[in-house]
Amino acid sequence: MSITVTGSIERKGFGPGTWAIVSEDKTYELKNAPEELRKAGLKAKVKGSVRDDVMTFAMIGPVLEVESFETISSD
Amino acid sequence: MRKLLILCLFVLGLSFTLFNFKGLASQGEFDSIVLDFREDVPAAQITEQVSAIAQQYNLNPRLNSEFSLSDHVYIVKGDRQLLKTLKKSALAKQTEYIEPNYIYKALEVPNDPDYGKQWNLRSINVEQAWEDTKGKDITVAVIDTGVTRVPDLKDTKFVKGYNFITDQIEASDDIGHGTHVAGTIAQSTNNGYGVAGIAYEASIMPIKVLDMGGGTVADIAEGIRFAADNGADVINMSLGGSGESQIMEEAVNYAHAKGVVVVAAAGNESRNSASYPARYPYAIGVAALDAAGQKASYSNFGAGVDISAPGGLTDGENTAGGILQETINYETGLPTFASFQGTSMAAPHVAGVAALVKAAGVKEPDEIINVLKQSARVVQEDPLNHFGAGHLDAAGAVKLAIKGQITFRDFFRWLRDHGYLNPVFWIDGGAIALLPKIAMVLGSYLLAWFLRNYFPFAWSWSLTSGLVAGSSGLFFLRGFYIFDLPQWPFRFMGSSIPELGNTIQGSTALNPFFASVLIPLVLIALLLGHPKWKWLAIGSALGVASCLAVSAVVSPAVWGLGTGVLARGFLIANALLCYGLAHLASKPSEQTA
Repeated sequence: MSITVTGSIERKGFGPGTWAIVSEDKTYELKNAPEELRKAGLKAKVKGSVRDDVMTFAMIGPVLEVESFETISSD
Repeated sequence: MRKLLILCLFVLGLSFTLFNFKGLASQGEFDSIVLDFREDVPAAQITEQVSAIAQQYNLNPRLNSEFSLSDHVYIVKGDRQLLKTLKKSALAKQTEYIEPNYIYKALEVPNDPDYGKQWNLRSINVEQAWEDTKGKDITVAVIDTGVTRVPDLKDTKFVKGYNFITDQIEASDDIGHGTHVAGTIAQSTNNGYGVAGIAYEASIMPIKVLDMGGGTVADIAEGIRFAADNGADVINMSLGGSGESQIMEEAVNYAHAKGVVVVAAAGNESRNSASYPARYPYAIGVAALDAAGQKASYSNFGAGVDISAPGGLTDGENTAGGILQETINYETGLPTFASFQGTSMAAPHVAGVAALVKAAGVKEPDEIINVLKQSARVVQEDPLNHFGAGHLDAAGAVKLAIKGQITFRDFFRWLRDHGYLNPVFWIDGGAIALLPKIAMVLGSYLLAWFLRNYFPFAWSWSLTSGLVAGSSGLFFLRGFYIFDLPQWPFRFMGSSIPELGNTIQGSTALNPFFASVLIPLVLIALLLGHPKWKWLAIGSALGVASCLAVSAVVSPAVWGLGTGVLARGFLIANALLCYGLAHLASKPSEQTA
């Protein structure tokens, strides 16, 4: 099931680091984030599915496998 | 029934006290005794005395060194028995002191040049643990991103692992996480290079189940079974997720049944409740501490946290507060010393110490877990369960393991098994300071008994309820946590009337409005007219009196009044007022009773 999460992209410093999207109420760990999405501070709307069957070393929140995304201009 | 419960609690409390006193006796080692003769005793007399000792006790006293003559310091071979005899003899009068010549040992400080940066190893007292064991013949499976044999893992023993991502035996690390975790467990130590690891004579079994995007529960479950089937003693899982998985829980149970200790990171979401697999009954969930021993800001807490260990805290470029091990650089693939943070780093501390405990002779996984928990340094004020049983203590754990006296083992097992019969519950055996609670309940009964001498009344259900509510509440409920639910309802039910005011916030300082005569006063004003319910009010007044009196002695922390004389005075004054109130309220009962 796909969901859409709007928030800002952050780099989380656990182990070698991982990418996250932080919405108002939740942090998702991004799985297979494309190169263009990997920019700290970027505001984005990410469509993807929550992978409950996946575990990670970063353990920062549910894993969101990116299907598509659009950036939101900050102004 | 009530009496039985009280009796049980009393016996339990007494046993706890006795158990805790055991370690206080001085246990220094010596095989000789120091005699220091008084300066004013003439040299000739000393020589005479010395030869007298030699004859009487068949000893050969000698000067400690050539510098000892002027100080009159002599050494004789002897044990505690002789020490006692000498202290009682006439000789004692001519000496300044007779004391054991204690043997001081230098701790095992490794020669790894960057060992000084490993605050985390000193904070778990690993040097003292190394005097007894370094984890020889124990195998720790690292279920992670694989393990690469970086230079500082060259002397570390490895056993055959498996790569479940590519389905091959070669399980090296292309990310840099598993290698770091393996370093904390068994980095080559005393090799004059890099840093140290905890159980550095143990073997590492590298199992790769994660790549950069994580790994599936199916692969992880197979990794767990592989480790259990191939002779792992301990499994470390510095990984987690939010999905409950049958296949993984079964794998953890399988490993446990095969005698493997399963350790898992609590997760880095800074949320209430550990993530999976840490929350499975047979996995030890590990929360992370920073260098100051506080809960690291990112660490999960609450249900599922069994113990806490250093996980470090790094702040951008400043990585001194992190956990330093050798790993590989994700970008270049080359070996590098890196400081990481996370519950990922905390879990391998526990896995390493579990390996030490097993090497020290404790075999069963449940017993190893109990040793880890019982030896942990208890954090007195931990209402939200940030720390589980407490801070990991390697020296304490190994000492307890060697003693082989696992008191309360069966009791803890009972707690654990019964708690886990219902999978949504989780019990923290160390959540409640038991002794003060027992003192409060007993104290309230004592007050009631005292009052009864003046105004005879019958024990009633309402009086007892009042006593319990006022003094301790259903305090055992405080150890209950339900996964993913707020913690305060159980804390609320587990609180006495004076504690209600600080329940919701999870603070341990008493609220001065609740911890006073106010509530008993209102209750008595409302219920005094009722023949039965008034005893509830009187009971609660006595209970509150006891609770406040015990708090005044044990932990006098009151909001706005601090923890000193002011808080104590306030609590004692209110305790007296409560007792006076109960005294007044029970007076007319002379006619009715």
